[in-house]
Amino acid sequence: MDVDGEDVSRRLHVKFVTKLDSPFKVPVNSVAIPSNVTRLGLSSIVNSIIQSDNPEWKTEPFDFLIDGELIRMSLEEFLLAKGISAERTLEIEYIRAVTPRKEEEPSLHDDWVSAVNGSSPRFILTGCYDGLGRVWSSAGSCSHILEGHSGAISSVAVVNSKDAETVTVATASKDRTLRLFKFDADESVDSSTRVTAYKILRGHKASVQSVSAQKSGDMVCSSSWDCTINLWNTNQSTSEGESVPLKKRKGNNQADESQSEGEAVTTLVGHTQCVSSVVWPEHDVIYSASWDHSVRRWDVETGKDSLNLFCGKALNTIDVGGEGSALIAAGGSDPILRVWDPRKPGTSAPVFQFSSHSSWISACKWHRSSWYHLLSASYDGKIMLWDLRTAWPLSIIETHNDKVLSADWWKGENVISGGADSNLRISSGIAIS
Amino acid sequence: MTKKSKGGKEDKKAIETKSKSVSGKSQKQKKPVEKEVEKEVKEEEELIQESGTDSDYDGDSLSGSLNSDDFNSDIFESEDDVTQGGTEEEDGGDGESSQDELLVHEGSIDNEDGDDGSEQIDSDNNEEEDGSDEGSDRDEAVEESDSSEDEVAPRNTVGDVPLKWYEDEKHIGYDITGKKITKKERQDKLDSFLASMDDSKNWRKIIDDYNDEEVELTKEESKMVRRLLKGKAPHADFDPYADYVDWFKWTDAIHPLSSAPEPKRRFIPSIWEAKKVVKLVRGIRMGLIKVAKPEEEPEEGPVPYLLWEPASTSDQKNKNLTYIPPPKLKLPGHEESYNPSLEYIPTEEEKASYELMFEEDRPKLIPTRFTSLRSIPAYGNALKESFERCLDLYLCPRIRKKRINIDPESLKPKLPSRKDLRPYPNSCYLEYKGHTGAVTSISTDSSGQWIASGSTDGSVRIWEVETGRCLKVWQFDEAIKFVAWNPLSSLPVLAIAMGRDLFFLNTELGNDEEQEVIKEMFHSGNIPEPEASVAAIVTWLQDELYGGIKIRHFKNISSIDWHRKGDYLSTVMASGETRGVVLHQLSKKKTQRLPFKIRGLPVCTLFHPSLSYIFVATRKDVRVYNLLKTGLATKKLETGMREISSMAIHPGGDNLIVGSKEGKMCWFDMDLSSKPYKTLKNHPKDITNVAVHRSYPLFASCSEDSTAYVFHGKVYNDLNQNPLIVPLEILRGHSIKGGVLDCKFHPRQPWLFTAGADSIIKLYCH
Repeated sequence: MDVDGEDVSRRLHVKFVTKLDSPFKVPVNSVAIPSNVTRLGLSSIVNSIIQSDNPEWKTEPFDFLIDGELIRMSLEEFLLAKGISAERTLEIEYIRAVTPRKEEEPSLHDDWVSAVNGSSPRFILTGCYDGLGRVWSSAGSCSHILEGHSGAISSVAVVNSKDAETVTVATASKDRTLRLFKFDADESVDSSTRVTAYKILRGHKASVQSVSAQKSGDMVCSSSWDCTINLWNTNQSTSEGESVPLKKRKGNNQADESQSEGEAVTTLVGHTQCVSSVVWPEHDVIYSASWDHSVRRWDVETGKDSLNLFCGKALNTIDVGGEGSALIAAGGSDPILRVWDPRKPGTSAPVFQFSSHSSWISACKWHRSSWYHLLSASYDGKIMLWDLRTAWPLSIIETHNDKVLSADWWKGENVISGGADSNLRISSGIAIS
Repeated sequence: MTKKSKGGKEDKKAIETKSKSVSGKSQKQKKPVEKEVEKEVKEEEELIQESGTDSDYDGDSLSGSLNSDDFNSDIFESEDDVTQGGTEEEDGGDGESSQDELLVHEGSIDNEDGDDGSEQIDSDNNEEEDGSDEGSDRDEAVEESDSSEDEVAPRNTVGDVPLKWYEDEKHIGYDITGKKITKKERQDKLDSFLASMDDSKNWRKIIDDYNDEEVELTKEESKMVRRLLKGKAPHADFDPYADYVDWFKWTDAIHPLSSAPEPKRRFIPSIWEAKKVVKLVRGIRMGLIKVAKPEEEPEEGPVPYLLWEPASTSDQKNKNLTYIPPPKLKLPGHEESYNPSLEYIPTEEEKASYELMFEEDRPKLIPTRFTSLRSIPAYGNALKESFERCLDLYLCPRIRKKRINIDPESLKPKLPSRKDLRPYPNSCYLEYKGHTGAVTSISTDSSGQWIASGSTDGSVRIWEVETGRCLKVWQFDEAIKFVAWNPLSSLPVLAIAMGRDLFFLNTELGNDEEQEVIKEMFHSGNIPEPEASVAAIVTWLQDELYGGIKIRHFKNISSIDWHRKGDYLSTVMASGETRGVVLHQLSKKKTQRLPFKIRGLPVCTLFHPSLSYIFVATRKDVRVYNLLKTGLATKKLETGMREISSMAIHPGGDNLIVGSKEGKMCWFDMDLSSKPYKTLKNHPKDITNVAVHRSYPLFASCSEDSTAYVFHGKVYNDLNQNPLIVPLEILRGHSIKGGVLDCKFHPRQPWLFTAGADSIIKLYCH
């Protein structure tokens, strides 16, 4: 029996290496392991090696890479598929598995959570169908409520969080306006303070679908159902005196804050249907996705589109990131998440296609520091974490029991998401090196 | 015993005795005779040898006599039997004849010419016996007398007519000069009685009516009559059981009397034939009669049999009209040899692959090698195949089936592949849930951001297309029949039909200016007095509940349709003449009738997408009216359907799609004809609605069978090219009960909304 067992699973000599720090390190010795182990087997081997050195070690899931590719089948099959010789000692790099280890308690909203933003490490910004924006300092503790919209909020963006004192955020709503809010993020969180907008941006003729801020925080751009992208100034009082000063809010004696109204600085026209999503990753480059099945890159200086990718499906969401912050990920009216590389000449075909979802994709976000990781949220209620190095999702988060409308990374190792179950959910402990 | 049988037997005897040699006699006669006999036998043998094989019979005797001892003994035994039988037979006859026979035998031997001798004797015997029979001669005489009687000239002058004709006449017949022959006076009874008293022979006298004379029967004749009366033959000497006389001579006559052919001198040429020949010859010489050239005679010699000639030659076909040629078999090749070359032998893998095949696909013959013909085994399937052949013959239809050989593939229309016709809706990703009753009607707004739906639960909802969120709900008391979004994007007003009421609702989705326009329109308060012509039909009211406008009709509304400019709206009621369809003008709050009469009850109406025409569908056909002219319909489209349920028009305006309650859908190309260009029978149940996409070449139908069909319908600008219609997809998903009640395309995306009786709206995306 033993002899047979040996024959069936050949032994491979492997060496485990890692870029992780000391508690995760294993001695760089060649180990003989059976060739039919999968990721789980490798993970338990590494765990047992670490445990032999450190008795207080708690089991930790690992992911394994050979020549920069994640192992998603048995080691033997992987080597066969990649044509790697099993004779020499294999070097297997291991990383901590990208999967949430902890689920924070949900933060209940009054209505569907249509937008979440985790670009500031200090708070989470959410937009809700009841027309209120909310600021959460942590799970379950709402510090500010941003009020003023008469329609559902469709998108939120953090404009400027560099200042220690006040933070500027922008909200886009289906009432055809955007509002800019300023609040102190470090305020005590005993009770949520209500904040009204210091500036209302009017100009869109239809529902505003998406808002995104320039890195510097001077401008925001917004996209709308009227097929346009508008650029707005964010500062309180413009030099040209565009703003209409001092409008008293009727019937509200609590806050007599002045509200100014802003008009669009520039309008980018080109899309033929609803522009569903915009991102402003660089100083003068805006990417937009539209229901007219196209992804465009706009030059802010000239107001012209410098890139036009045809997708074939109505798109709901776009994000730019990855290697060199140049890859475009977009999802829309089909279950496929597509990633384009605009630097690739001569082709407009997506370089990656991830198709594990079963319904429309509502959100996709690149990890802010990793080149490989991105998340996608879908109407099938799932959030999936992807690594460009494998076609399978790294992890599937199924905490929502209805459509997920928005999702984002927060503080590098959390996934925040809002959906039609009116909850903001935070999945934490995702180790991305 | 008859003469004949005797004679025949004697003949036979003669032959037998001859064949079996004289040895039989050796038993009867004494030993000294034996030697003589033996000598004679030898002589005979010699004779036979000399004469050679005169006849088969001689040959046999020769072989028999040359046989060995045991064979001889056989003969002896058999001869004993024969002689015994012979004696037995002749017991009944005269003893002389047997002696005669013996004599004959001896004589024949003496005569040294068996055949001739016996024949002579036979003939003698026959003659003798013939002569002895006297009865036969008498028979002949009787026959002669009969015939002579016939020859007596008839004295009858009457002719062969019924005597009844002369019953009342005094004459009977006519003589040769044409004078009447008068009847003789008949004796009266008394005279005849007296005569009979006088003459003892009077009873023999008979009156012959025909000849009108008295005949006295002779003694013989009276006897004959008596015999006849007894039922016997008339002549006493006639023997009904006479012996059979075989007139045929059974012995072969070697020489016929003469076998010479008829001499030519006896030929008498026919004059008429000669004349005819002369005439023909003259005709041929004059060229009046054309003689066909003699056909080239086929070359003499053996005609080769064409083994591989096609079986069905023309003459064979002509012979029999229902000739069915046998199936042509493939000519045998090398692989069917008993010892084919190696390349024909399948390898083991090939054989294994044959095993995996289906029975029908497997090759009939797998070539195998045998070293010699002897080693070929019996054909394994012989019994099975002969049984099947018998079965075939038994079950063979006796009627010739006329069959046209058409490749079924060629009958299929050449349609482009579905892949090339993308995008089209095919899979459902979004569902709009919230209604509690069947969703009867849906409508998309012009931008495609919102969709409105009406349900039997009395609620009207507005949904966000993108997320499936219900944005607004209006609750009414009645089941909603129809919802229609104003086609103008600047006037987001919803028209809702339920029961007899039509509502205009402000959806509050437009921007501020638009909202003000709508509010101005709805709440200006002063609804003008309706014109007298429509006062009986409709009443405009202010709706308190939702701040809209309500129009009450005199009958239930069955269908509504917005004009493209968003100001006019047509409502259809089940009423004839001019009252079935009315036009409401929203801006002026006015109602007007159509300026023409409509034949039949209207089912639904449709405005032309670019011109001032209106399509009015009645139950059976569609009429096109010009709105600017009064009068008759400009066009009548005959659908050929039982009951129209819905209509949709191609954005170009020249193509109309009509759905019917029998599951049929018609595509009308109005440039082409007033008949349907294509009729598609796709649904087993009623078609509830049809829809055409505004920009993509798509159209769809939905039905109570809870499916929706999506078609590609491309209309070309080139007038010579007919529209291309390709079925693309069957969309299922709604629950079976109730079916799909409405379908609408997204105005900008190739997506289809379907409203089901299961209270769900589904969005099918590409």
